[in-house]
Amino acid sequence: MPPHLVDDQDDARFRLAMASAGIGMAIVSLEGRFLDVNPALCRMLGRDSGELLGHLVHDISHPDDLPLTERLRQQLASGEIPSVDVEKRYTHRDGHVVEVQLNAALMRDADGAPQYVISQFRDVTAQRAAERALQAANDHLEQRVQERTAELEAAHRRLEAFAYGVSHDLRAPLRTIDGFAAQLARQAGEALDAQAHEQLARIRMASARMGTLIDSLLELARIGRAVLKPAPVDVSLLAEWVAAEMQDLHPARPALVHVQPGLEVVGDERLLKGLLTQLLRNAWQFSASRERVDVEVEGARNGHGLQFVVRDRGIGFDMAYAGKLFEPFQRLHGSEQGSGDGIGLTIAQQIAARHHGGIRAEARPDAGASFHVELRDLQVPGDNGDTHATPEVASA
Amino acid sequence: MNHKTILLVEDNPDDVELTRIAFAEAGSEHQLTVVSDGAEAVDYLLGRGRYADRNTADLPTLVLLDLNLPKLDGREVLQAIRAETATRSLPVVVLTTSAEPFDVDEVYALGANSYIQKPVEFERFVEVVRQIGLYWLALNQPPTTKP
Repeated sequence: MPPHLVDDQDDARFRLAMASAGIGMAIVSLEGRFLDVNPALCRMLGRDSGELLGHLVHDISHPDDLPLTERLRQQLASGEIPSVDVEKRYTHRDGHVVEVQLNAALMRDADGAPQYVISQFRDVTAQRAAERALQAANDHLEQRVQERTAELEAAHRRLEAFAYGVSHDLRAPLRTIDGFAAQLARQAGEALDAQAHEQLARIRMASARMGTLIDSLLELARIGRAVLKPAPVDVSLLAEWVAAEMQDLHPARPALVHVQPGLEVVGDERLLKGLLTQLLRNAWQFSASRERVDVEVEGARNGHGLQFVVRDRGIGFDMAYAGKLFEPFQRLHGSEQGSGDGIGLTIAQQIAARHHGGIRAEARPDAGASFHVELRDLQVPGDNGDTHATPEVASA
Repeated sequence: MNHKTILLVEDNPDDVELTRIAFAEAGSEHQLTVVSDGAEAVDYLLGRGRYADRNTADLPTLVLLDLNLPKLDGREVLQAIRAETATRSLPVVVLTTSAEPFDVDEVYALGANSYIQKPVEFERFVEVVRQIGLYWLALNQPPTTKP
């Protein structure tokens, strides 16, 4: 028989509440038998009230949860704990497991003696299934990310090994070529005629060019995988510095360099120096036919970075070929016009791309060239910084 | 050895020849002893294997060590000789083609005294060799510890 509550009126109200409740409810005796169950609980477990009333909670509990069921019953019945809030599994009549968030509280009589337990059952089967599916998807995703990361790392290591091989194995024979050509030229003396000496000199120049080319390729390979060290960088100071280096390299070339002071960006100083080196070297190269190298560097900060232009008064180029400028090994001028190895502007472009920007060129034949550089401030580490190699390439 | 000896650890015969020429051009009067792989370098310095009869008290003034070597590479040679009391303080200059930052840092961590990249251009190589001679064989005060 269902127990009586305080009075008949309360009893009736409680039964109405139980009957219409959306969650499963039951009154359970101290020895663990169902004394009363509501329709929601019956629906949850696929059983009618006759199959539950008078039966032990044990009978419909999941076998693995029986020790838990017994322990909770004892703790509640003895008054050791006033209530529990646990997750527990039951068996549906058709055999499937029903996962339930169980809330059970001990009721006492007027004298304070434990009387029975009121339990509420919230079906969380679908919720848990969804959580498990989400977890599985996350695990799968994580595994995929780990796999892809491992693949990327392996690719990086291969690239590194390749760059290392290029550095070592291609440079060593060049040293042999240059060294013995130098020896031959020296020892042969007048035994070789002027033309032979000229040819030896060409051999040596070619090996020097290839040495530079290998260095440039290595630098290009390093930019993509360089770990960025973002810090505030005074681009004006770097430009002055690089211009001074260029003047040291070409002491016979008169040069007039004007750099607007105070151009600043948050970036990787080493890489940005590389970018300026390529652009200024370019300006020097293509001003070879001029009386004087004229270079201007000026710009302004915008909201999130720096825009600046490196302008020369060299031989310029036809804008029809501007798209080829930043492609490796593409040259717009023959070597007699002072062309480089065809990698310099690619290096500069890659460095700008690592700063989420790019370089655009503007020129007219014989009227100088302008290289417009856009750089975005990098995040400083610890500031949720981007210190990873980013594969993106900015448009020219 | 009465006069100063340099041990060159180099497997490329062209590089050995060019280094000899460069030392001659730089006016160096030091004796250049050449071993062509890392294992032979360790045997030579520690008096092992075919060098078991060598008087190991006779250490070279300087070791010029390439990194990419057969059998034991330059790093392993460094590890081996830094682990022995007799050769712990021996001046070692790494002279190699690589300029990779990770090589440089690793080699210093293993106890190299200097790291120099071999230039491609011969005149610059001669200059490098001349500077090495000037600094390590004339200017530098070598360690006095004897085994």
